[in-house]
Amino acid sequence: MPERILDARWLEPPEPMELTLAAIEDLEPGERLRLLIHRTPHMLFPILKEWGFGYQTHTLDDGTFEIFIWRKEQAAAGDPGSS
Amino acid sequence: MSKPASLSLDQAPPIGVPLRFFLTAPLFALTAALLLLWQGPDLFGSRWNPALLGFTHLLTLGFIGLTMLGAILQMLPVVASAPVRRPVLIATVVHALGTGGIILLSYGLIFTAPLALQIALPALGTAFLLFSVLIVITLRRAPPKNMTARAMRLAALMLAATVLLGLILLSNHAFGWWLHTREMLTNLHLTWGLLGWVGILVVGVAYQVVPMFQLTPAYPAKLTRWLTALLFILLLGLAPASHCPALRIALNAMLAAGFASFSLATLWLQSQRRRKLPDVTLNFWRGGMISLLSAISLWLVAQLIPAWGLTQSYGLLLGTLMIVGFAMSVINGMLYKIAPFLVWFHLQSRRGAHGPKVPNVRELLPESRTRRQMWLHFFALGALLAAVLSPSTFTYPAALLFGASNLWLWANLVSVSRTYRKVNALLGQTTASAG
Repeated sequence: MPERILDARWLEPPEPMELTLAAIEDLEPGERLRLLIHRTPHMLFPILKEWGFGYQTHTLDDGTFEIFIWRKEQAAAGDPGSS
Repeated sequence: MSKPASLSLDQAPPIGVPLRFFLTAPLFALTAALLLLWQGPDLFGSRWNPALLGFTHLLTLGFIGLTMLGAILQMLPVVASAPVRRPVLIATVVHALGTGGIILLSYGLIFTAPLALQIALPALGTAFLLFSVLIVITLRRAPPKNMTARAMRLAALMLAATVLLGLILLSNHAFGWWLHTREMLTNLHLTWGLLGWVGILVVGVAYQVVPMFQLTPAYPAKLTRWLTALLFILLLGLAPASHCPALRIALNAMLAAGFASFSLATLWLQSQRRRKLPDVTLNFWRGGMISLLSAISLWLVAQLIPAWGLTQSYGLLLGTLMIVGFAMSVINGMLYKIAPFLVWFHLQSRRGAHGPKVPNVRELLPESRTRRQMWLHFFALGALLAAVLSPSTFTYPAALLFGASNLWLWANLVSVSRTYRKVNALLGQTTASAG
């Protein structure tokens, strides 16, 4: 799977979230983003779900969180909450 | 319709809930500055001067109290992992009773108007007691190992105790009866308020926000596990120790050691942060911690030179360092993180996956504006301390600097909230035209 990398470690909140949301916006189907971050981004996950993205979190040995994010197929183009 | 469209928004209360508190609070500090300008050097004449009591409560209830209520309403769902029920109703009732009560209380104290005090009494009692009960109940759902939740609960109990004592003391002024133990109760009221409610809350919130926003290592686990509970027990012990000076000094010494270890740990963590970029909030915290350490040193000096500890200026210096130096600095700094963050988060959630770009936190509140206000705040603090020692020279410059600083803080917060309204309206139009 083609991959883009975003290293958001030790950036001040909400910069990691700003950069992540900007990076996933033009993610192609079949492509994934590898996000590296120094703490669990609790506020990011609900937005990912709502925007139609899947994600998977791992913890690396040095304590870094590695989060893979991809666009789910049939992602809702509009606002899923209003339907 | 501006129905929130996102799941993440359902967790957080509507932005108007915290913002109404943040936008009101600086106006009370501004009013305090105007009061100082009007009363002049006489205001610092005596600790018991009713106008000085009005001045103090404009800051403690008006500025510190309101911002903390707003911030807690915002933080509770995150800390307790569950939303607060009916946040808008609670915010409306607490804010209306709180602001009304503070206005009546300070008016009644400054102009010796018992009727205003008699109305302020139930208003303030309801607002603040309701709020402390809400915190304790909501946090029952918090994970037991969450040290911030534990600190918030202890702080809320201290708030309730402070308010109850405050109501008794207020009834003295409102109904013209005098307790023999008034001085003892006043000392307990201000110690529990400043060290218990404000102090324990700042310590507990620091565990989360200092590492998160200032990118420092975490506080040592031993400190986070024991400190707030220890501070709470020591503060409770002060009530029976009122008649036993030796015990009181021992408890005070341990309290001083506890708060000193917190402020030194914070300053040390800040020196260990990953990226040493200049940051306004970090400097506000640094100033707050240095003020706390200065207050502790001052207390130590007063133990060594008891005669000086009995002077008028000692108590006023201690109060200025704790209220303006410690609490107001930390709060002012945090407002500059919380307000733009909330606005950005709400706009971001509202915009959805394909909406127009929303301004980021730096665009919402440029650092050039916050940095200058910070310097004004610290100059005002210095001038206020100087005014305690030399009222005739420094009172008017202190009042002007303090007023200007709070006016500027208010203007900065208003500009963030205006941008929110503008962009939110724009997003509404885009959603409407897309649908």
